[in-house]
Amino acid sequence: MSATAGQVIRCKAAVAWEAGKPLVIEEVEVEPPQKMEVRLKILFTSLCHTDVCFWEAKGQTALFPRIYGHEAGGIVESVGEGVTDLQPGDHVLPVFTGECKECHHCKSSESNMCSLLRINTDRGVMISDGKTRFSKNGQPIYHFLGTSTFSEYTVTHVGCVAKINPAAPLDKVCLLSCGIATGLGATLNVAKPTKGSTVAIFGLGAVGLAAAEGARISGASRIIGVDLNANRFNEAKKFGVTEFVNPKDYDKPVQQVIAEMTDGGVDRSLECTGNVNLMISAFECVHDGWGVAVLVGVPNKDDAFKTHPINLLNERTLKGTFFGNYKPRSDIPSVVEKYMNKELELDKFITHQVSFSEINKAFDLMLGGQGLRCIIHMEN
Amino acid sequence: MSSTVGQVIKCKAAVAWEAGKPLVMEEVEVAPPQKMEVRLKILFTSLCHTDLYFWEAKAQDSVFPRILGHEAAGIVESVGEGVTELAPGDHVLPVFTGECKECAHCKSEESNMCSLLRINTDRGVMINDGQTRFSINGKPIYHFVGTSTFSEYTVVHVGCVAKINPLAPLDKVCVLSCGISTGLGATLNVAKPKKGSSVAIFGLGAVGLGAAEGARLAGASRIIGVDLNSGRFEEAKKFGVTEFVNPKDHKKPVQEVIAEMTDGGVDRSVECTGNVNAMISAFECVHDGWGVAVLVGVPHKDAEFKTHPMNLLNERTLKGTFFGNYKPRSDLPSVVELYMNKELELEKFITHEVPFNEINKAFELMLKGEGLRYPAFKSCSGIIEKDGERLELEKKRMKFRAIAF
Repeated sequence: MSATAGQVIRCKAAVAWEAGKPLVIEEVEVEPPQKMEVRLKILFTSLCHTDVCFWEAKGQTALFPRIYGHEAGGIVESVGEGVTDLQPGDHVLPVFTGECKECHHCKSSESNMCSLLRINTDRGVMISDGKTRFSKNGQPIYHFLGTSTFSEYTVTHVGCVAKINPAAPLDKVCLLSCGIATGLGATLNVAKPTKGSTVAIFGLGAVGLAAAEGARISGASRIIGVDLNANRFNEAKKFGVTEFVNPKDYDKPVQQVIAEMTDGGVDRSLECTGNVNLMISAFECVHDGWGVAVLVGVPNKDDAFKTHPINLLNERTLKGTFFGNYKPRSDIPSVVEKYMNKELELDKFITHQVSFSEINKAFDLMLGGQGLRCIIHMEN
Repeated sequence: MSSTVGQVIKCKAAVAWEAGKPLVMEEVEVAPPQKMEVRLKILFTSLCHTDLYFWEAKAQDSVFPRILGHEAAGIVESVGEGVTELAPGDHVLPVFTGECKECAHCKSEESNMCSLLRINTDRGVMINDGQTRFSINGKPIYHFVGTSTFSEYTVVHVGCVAKINPLAPLDKVCVLSCGISTGLGATLNVAKPKKGSSVAIFGLGAVGLGAAEGARLAGASRIIGVDLNSGRFEEAKKFGVTEFVNPKDHKKPVQEVIAEMTDGGVDRSVECTGNVNAMISAFECVHDGWGVAVLVGVPHKDAEFKTHPMNLLNERTLKGTFFGNYKPRSDLPSVVELYMNKELELEKFITHEVPFNEINKAFELMLKGEGLRYPAFKSCSGIIEKDGERLELEKKRMKFRAIAF
């Protein structure tokens, strides 16, 4: 047991006091874990669009003050009552969606949308007692996605923690707790391109490039990257992208351009932007008879996906995925192993590094559309 | 080889001279098969909505005079040059969509949409020379979907003919050359429900009941039939349907009703009406995480499928099928075997029989349920839609009829 077990820990956290305002490094108090909870020491974390989206809080109910962050790697500090799967010292990735292992979804071989612990962007408290484990001078500070990794210590539900190989470098594999796994799994688990097939990837940000990485690992012969920003093309080659299409360069719809390049359509497509028009393009650009399109990017509230039903009757398949269809506790450890045995490359996703005190730089980089992933080092 | 080999055959055919007018029994001349064609003697045929739709020819250009019919069974009379897979005397099912075995679609395990021979409702001539093989006093009579089975003899491309077990009773298995296979395959090949799973079937016409039969064969524990006509439920029980939902009985959307009955949604759904709202309901009624919806029924030209993308991101899958994803030559023979070994039941689909010269009765029987009150025929299967409104069909609506020659 660690020396701090059972005690409140005082540590640094980057607190968002107001929507869209720079985070402030504060000293906060972190309660010990309650039943079925664990307290983690976070060593590395990174910024993902979802953090930025909810921090900006445009068009949704805002919950402040809040500790964001959900892509991270750390070590278990202590465990609460009833926890048997984890112990202090375990190397872990906290995940924004969980796996209780009891519900229908967890028992299904197909789903990863746990009824109890699936992503909840509204909730800012722990399920156990409806309260937060963070506070400053008695004022509660809200959780985010059950992870809140922009803090030296955090408390999460045990179902939201993946125990991984202790030899894995946490400053790299922390990326697997969200964006990279999402894109990778979308390809490997859902689109499942066969060796030699053709794949189109819409959106060449971190998620799209991870999807491309999945296509590369699968042996796809052509990986067509689609993006409005031609600057992304060069970087994308490192991830296996073989050709590029910028919709802005054409008068006709991009699905037509792709169909013409591929004798009727690609075998698989992945949509990683969340733009509903691109979702429709991604669907309509796959070949009739056998094409599969997978939607990954999260859309706006009021979007409508529309297509003529004949596109489905012509034997195209339309799927969607959540977190790459990975079950966090059951599957993520094996994704770490893919990195460890050098099938999967992660280093190329990391374009920047900052210390925890400079966390706002990571936000600036992302808002400026720069880089892919910035690793935030919690310790000096 | 029979004595008619290489010669023109004079025989009876039911000719549609004008859209929507009763077919006329005529003596027609049927030219011998050319390269890669075969001439078939048709023994049994049945009427499918698609014949009716193109006979009525309301929203499209249709060619006349024409010999309709595409669900049938017969025997090969003679073969044209280059045909090696079939010989006179073979028992066969002609199919409205073909399999050349050479193109990327035929070579793919997944597709049955042959680039050369896939369904073409516009074409009224043979691919080889762009001419018809039927004529009356020199006047050409057009083909329909490459089959034209409302004739004692017809000529089809060899790629559109499935050679089947000669012991199979042709008056039963003729129904496998379209509607029943479409529904059956939608379930067995595409939806693939696991044993003990729950399945919703939208539209309890012949195709929907073919889909239900597939769910029964797959061992589904609950088969929920959805139809606006409550009169269909009793009959549907023979096909494995265990529960019935009539959307008219509920204020809330039918997908909500089904989700409530099934703790979040069914495992699989199969949409067999062609009504675009039913398609959306069929998709939204499957369980998140693992549900799969399969669209079967053919919509009208301007239909738009619409859903919130979240429904896909929540791990529902949406698929569509054509002819049950069966490759006509490669797969249909084994469907006939499913019937021969008594797994698949076909007799229950056959409700009427008429002799060839009474073929118009078959049309009347199919139309009767709709009556003259429903002139705008938007859908060619299942539920009839008039100006966007769903209208009830008469209780004693005939599901199927077989015409004997």
